[in-house]
Amino acid sequence: MNGYLAFLKKEIFEYVKTYKLLIMLMVFTVFGITNPLIAKLLPEILESLINDKGIISLPEPTAYDAWTQFFKNATQIGLIVMVILFSGVLSSELSKGTLINLLTKGLSRTAVILSKYTCMVLVWTKSIALCFVLTYGYTVYLFPKDETSNLLFSVFCLWLFGLFLLSALLFSAALTKSNYGCMLITGIVVVACMIMNIISSVHKYNPISLATDNMGLIMNSIEVSSLYSAIMISCLLSLIFVSLSVVIFQKKPL
Amino acid sequence: MDWVMLKEYLPFLIPLVIAQFTLSITALIHVLRHPNYRFGNKVMWVLVVMFIQFIGPALYFALGRGEE
Repeated sequence: MNGYLAFLKKEIFEYVKTYKLLIMLMVFTVFGITNPLIAKLLPEILESLINDKGIISLPEPTAYDAWTQFFKNATQIGLIVMVILFSGVLSSELSKGTLINLLTKGLSRTAVILSKYTCMVLVWTKSIALCFVLTYGYTVYLFPKDETSNLLFSVFCLWLFGLFLLSALLFSAALTKSNYGCMLITGIVVVACMIMNIISSVHKYNPISLATDNMGLIMNSIEVSSLYSAIMISCLLSLIFVSLSVVIFQKKPL
Repeated sequence: MDWVMLKEYLPFLIPLVIAQFTLSITALIHVLRHPNYRFGNKVMWVLVVMFIQFIGPALYFALGRGEE
C-alpha cells in the first residue's frame, strides 16, 4: 500500500513534468469551449458558403447540436489523443531501465501496475470533467431554453468507456515492448468491439455502445436500462484486463 | 464580423485566447531552455509553437521534446 501511494505520487509528478497533463487538459478545454460555439455558428458558416443559391434554409441550432459536438469530439479526437499520450505508460520506463532500481528495492510489481492505472484514470476523469463543465456552461449560456435528459448518465457512460479503454491500453502495454505495439493492440480491441457491434444482439452487451449511444440517451430515444448490461460487461472487462496485465507484468523480464 | 457579433462571442474568445497563449508561451520557454529535440532545430520549433494554434505546442510536447 505504501509503495502504491509513493508510486502514484511519482506518476502524477511525471505527468506534470512531461506536460502530458497540460496537453490533455488543454485539448479538452478547447473542445469544451468550442463545442457549443461550433454548434451555434455552423448554420451561419454554411449559409455564407452557399449564399448565392439562397434557397436552403437551415434549422436553428439547439442544445442537442452542442452535445452532438461534445460526444463526437470526446469520443473521436479526445480518446485518440489520450491513447497516444498514454501509449508509453510502461514502455518508456522499461526502455530507460528506471524501473529496475525501484523493483529490486522491494516495490511490488502489482503496485506499479495499479498505480499507473489509477493515475491514468485520474487524468482522464479530470479532463472529461473539465470538458463537460465547460460545454455545459456555454450550452446553457447559448441555448437557455433547451432541455436535455439523462445528461449526467450519458457522460458517465462515456467516462466508463474511457476506463475500459485505459484498461485495454494497460493490458497491451504489459504485452508489448514498444508504444507502437501498445497503440496497435488497443486499436485492435476497439476495432473488434466495432465489428461486433454489427450484430444487433451483441450491441446490448458491447462496451462500445457506451460511447455510441450517448446522443440517443440525451434525446430520450434510448432507454437508460438498455445500457445496464453494457455497463456491467465493461466493468467486468476492465477488471479482467487490469488483473491480466498484473499477471503478465509479474512474469515480464525487465 | 461586426462589433455586435464580436461582443456576443467575447465570452468564448477570451478563454480560448488565454488557453492558446498559456500553451504557446509554456512551449516557447521549453523550446528555448532545452535545445535538444528529437528532430528539427530551434528555429523550426519556435515557429511551429508560435504560429500553429493549439496543435503546434501539443505536437512539440508529444513528439519534438528531447530527453533530458
